[in-house]
Amino acid sequence: MKRKGLKSLLMIFVLTTLAIALTGCSGDKEAENSSQITIGIPQDVEESLDPHKMVAAGTKEVLFNLFEGLVKPDSDGSLIPAVASAYEESEGGKVYTFTLREGVKFHDGSLVTAEDVKFSIDKCADTSNGGPLVEAFSNIESVTIKDASTVVITLKEADTEFLAYMTTAIIPASNTAADTNPIGTGPYKFVSRSPQENFIMEKFDEYWGEGANIEHVTFKICANADSIVMDLEGGSIDMFPRVTATQAAELSDNFEVLEGTMNLVQALYLNNAVAPFDDVRVRQALCYAISPQEIMTIISDGKGTELGSSMFPAFGKYFMKELNDTYNQDTEKAKALLAEAGYPDGFSFTITVPSNYQPHIDTAQVLVEQFKAIGVTAEIQLIEWDSWLSDVYQNREFQSTVVGVDASNLTGAALLQRFVSDSSKNFINFNNADYDTALANAIASTDDAEKTKYYKECQTILSTDAANVYIQDLPEFVAINKKYTGYEFYPIYVQDIAKLKLADEQ
Amino acid sequence: MKYAGKKVITMIITLFAVTLFVFLAFHFISGDPATSMLGTEATPERVEALREEMGLNDPVLLQYGRWALNFLKGDMGISYSYRMSVSEMVADKIPVTVTLTILAFLMMVVIAIPLGIYTAKHVGGVIDRIIYMINQVIMAFPPFFAGILITLVFGRILKLFTPGGYVSYQKDFFGFVGYLIFPAFAIALPKAAMAVKLLRSSVISESKLDYVRTAYSRGNSTKAVLYKHVLKNALIPVITFLGMALADMIAGSIIIEQVFSIPGLGRILLTSISNRDYPVVMAVIVCISLLVLVVNMVVDIIYGLVDPRISIE
Amino acid sequence: MIRNGKKNYNLIVGSIITGFILLLILVGTFYTPYDPDAMDAASKFAGVSLKHPMGCDNFGRDIFSRVLEGSRTTFIVAAGTVFIGTFFGIIMGALTGYYGGIVDEILMRFNDAMFAFPSILLALLFISLFGSGKYQVILALGIAFIPSFARIVRSEFIKCKNMDYVKNAKLQGASNIRIMFVHILPNTVTVLLSAIMIGFNNAVLAEAGMSFLGIGVQPPDASLGRMLSEAQTYLFSAPTYAIFPGLIIILMVLGFSLLGDGLKSEE
Repeated sequence: MKRKGLKSLLMIFVLTTLAIALTGCSGDKEAENSSQITIGIPQDVEESLDPHKMVAAGTKEVLFNLFEGLVKPDSDGSLIPAVASAYEESEGGKVYTFTLREGVKFHDGSLVTAEDVKFSIDKCADTSNGGPLVEAFSNIESVTIKDASTVVITLKEADTEFLAYMTTAIIPASNTAADTNPIGTGPYKFVSRSPQENFIMEKFDEYWGEGANIEHVTFKICANADSIVMDLEGGSIDMFPRVTATQAAELSDNFEVLEGTMNLVQALYLNNAVAPFDDVRVRQALCYAISPQEIMTIISDGKGTELGSSMFPAFGKYFMKELNDTYNQDTEKAKALLAEAGYPDGFSFTITVPSNYQPHIDTAQVLVEQFKAIGVTAEIQLIEWDSWLSDVYQNREFQSTVVGVDASNLTGAALLQRFVSDSSKNFINFNNADYDTALANAIASTDDAEKTKYYKECQTILSTDAANVYIQDLPEFVAINKKYTGYEFYPIYVQDIAKLKLADEQ
Repeated sequence: MKYAGKKVITMIITLFAVTLFVFLAFHFISGDPATSMLGTEATPERVEALREEMGLNDPVLLQYGRWALNFLKGDMGISYSYRMSVSEMVADKIPVTVTLTILAFLMMVVIAIPLGIYTAKHVGGVIDRIIYMINQVIMAFPPFFAGILITLVFGRILKLFTPGGYVSYQKDFFGFVGYLIFPAFAIALPKAAMAVKLLRSSVISESKLDYVRTAYSRGNSTKAVLYKHVLKNALIPVITFLGMALADMIAGSIIIEQVFSIPGLGRILLTSISNRDYPVVMAVIVCISLLVLVVNMVVDIIYGLVDPRISIE
Repeated sequence: MIRNGKKNYNLIVGSIITGFILLLILVGTFYTPYDPDAMDAASKFAGVSLKHPMGCDNFGRDIFSRVLEGSRTTFIVAAGTVFIGTFFGIIMGALTGYYGGIVDEILMRFNDAMFAFPSILLALLFISLFGSGKYQVILALGIAFIPSFARIVRSEFIKCKNMDYVKNAKLQGASNIRIMFVHILPNTVTVLLSAIMIGFNNAVLAEAGMSFLGIGVQPPDASLGRMLSEAQTYLFSAPTYAIFPGLIIILMVLGFSLLGDGLKSEE
């Protein structure tokens, strides 16, 4: 009797399990909504959804679709009017006058007013929390509402690049829960967020402009980077920005792989204040020791763009390709420089690498091998991103680190200002009086040609002074199901989903 | 009952010790929540202002006391990173991990008990040897690797499920459970192998005891002896094991959740640790420890019921 | 190896496998065909050949050389873990089991707390505290393993302390320390040995798990777990990258558990 009971119990277990398994399998193939896309992202949108407080690149690229500033960046790097329909620069870059576009609505249905604009800018310029949310806003003298559709911003010092900061999101003054309920004017509006699961948004029907094509967009968090190919092929995601070269090669014909660049400066950043890197000859020796080409060949099948200073090609007029040749791999020269600096037998040092990004870890491993040739022993130390932020970036307690530094906007200052000796972002402790002068000149000059000249001077100094061991702008591979078209690369770190459309809809 | 009361008190002390330990540990780890929230935009002034605002400049024991007091009042705080209520976040994820664990546990029982009895009955036979070898090999697999192979075989080659195709239980419960079947299988497999091995050896050692010989000598058939006497006693150590395995599974799901991209407690815990999001870390650890402790207690009680000798302790 | 006229296959097979692995580790200590860290862009993902018997990985490093080195690292990590776990586990278990009373109560409650705390979690916390690296992994896992060893030793000591030979020793005036470590401890060896075997295997698997979570041995150092978790990205372009480290892990664990089973049935 007992035995029968046990047996039938087991039977029930097995049957229910099976039944659930079967329903589960068929459940996946839900009616395929024609107008939806699921995009895999490696990192969750795990911070405040207030566009003025967000700091992670991963958050910015997603929220780009929800928010707009008075102007917004276009895919070619230029700034186009958004919430403002027109703007005027006067007094040599000291006064900016914005005319608000008529009928622009927030996602909650209310109209954008001049008060909202003033509120947004004032909020970012507020210094009561130890500093303004947008550093450049400390230059703002006043924000005045001239009439219901005109806002005038007056600066303390003239700055012809100031417009680039006007991409700062305009949000409604009335939203009290901006941290968790983002309301903007972008082509998509926020639906929901589930930690470590997804971030869902849908088309905003009352968008002032052309608007989005795809109705429902889900950003799905793909925690396991190694199963991305399987996720794409299995259909659980339709697109993944930033697959690796190897993953791209494994994808089937159903996917298109678009190649762009990540728009960041990947380098072995050296702490210029600590021995032995306080000696320019040692830094130069390291530059001579490495070969960016070899690194690219090994980690990304030769894809990527070699860099020689803190600037990447997306900046067009500022980028100086010739700086790639300041140092070409030359083991003998490197050894000679080391000997001159008092390290004839080389030395050892630590490369600190944030553990969340494989290309940097891979690059560091190749660097270790390349340094061996000049008798320098490097040891890799992986640390979590948050430890990196506090130990390396904040406290500057490190010898060297491999990371990619990106630009928050398209001004030359975005990349170059951090190396001014007293900048709070100068984590490498670079200290060069000529550099400080050149950068101050660049910012002050109102003439474009002159500005460019000074920015180039800055880059040249970084290169000859071997501030860092510059490597490359990493390649970016976007894998997208051929059902969709219209993907566009931007010179800054964003994903513009509004431009995507279904392939058979044209 | 006195026994259970003592257990509950121990449990509370344990929880207190665990939370205090975690809280202190976090205090010494490099990286702090304020820096984490400000990222590369941080300036020393802004970090300082934020630390002050978040109460991070207070003595650590004061911070712990504040946390514990609020926690007891049912307020788990606000997540530093997500800026949403921690209780909401955790409540959202508990069903995921619990369902996964229950599924895995059921699978383990379904696989292990019949196989264990079968092998014990046919000790030395060919099938027994084969099962023994398979068992050993399964136990030698690193859990995440087994997960990857399962994804590969059942997901990509046999197409029985969509890798990464997790659906929320709120949206489609059956789809949710359906997706969890294979991850649960990955968790259950090594535990089932251990259970089979344990049951087998437990039945064998029980069969060698005097009372079994006596039963045989009275002319009982093999089957009757096995089911009436041996199995009942042999199951006792197995119950302990199953309890331990259940507790282990709750914690062990961390890795499998990562392999199969399941947004459960484990994933939340991992990311909160690296985001220095203490309120979430603390809440999840309390939840996991509580689940483990409750399971242990239930096992102890069942054990006491099955084997009267224990309650003397 | 012959018992009741029947061959102890577990012991034989286990010894052969373990012997093979130990040989591999021994060879790897003195000789690897290539520098395990040397990269070569030209032989990236090279297949199995005479030059590279297990092919090459994503950096063009020789997988065979790395497997040799990785096996050693993994073995050292596992052995170190078990050593720390056993050493402190014995001390803790012996004291609590032998003396009982309040010491026992406190240490065992502490033990319970550690037990309720999943070991992988504990390791995770320790790594956040100490930083990551080979020695940190040993320390973290070792500490996480203490409670389970302490528990086993404690119950053995409770069992033994009332036995006649202990009473005899006491009558002869042997000190408590002497009784614990000279008289009782040797009698727990069989139980301890099988616990060590199981612990060793758990350590190998835990190392792999930690590498998967990115908190294990640091690159470019090779360990089997690290190689296996790195290899999963390339499961299709370079299956040998995953297969060989995976195989060695499985063999290592299998060998020890067969050996353990064999020794047990040998009693």
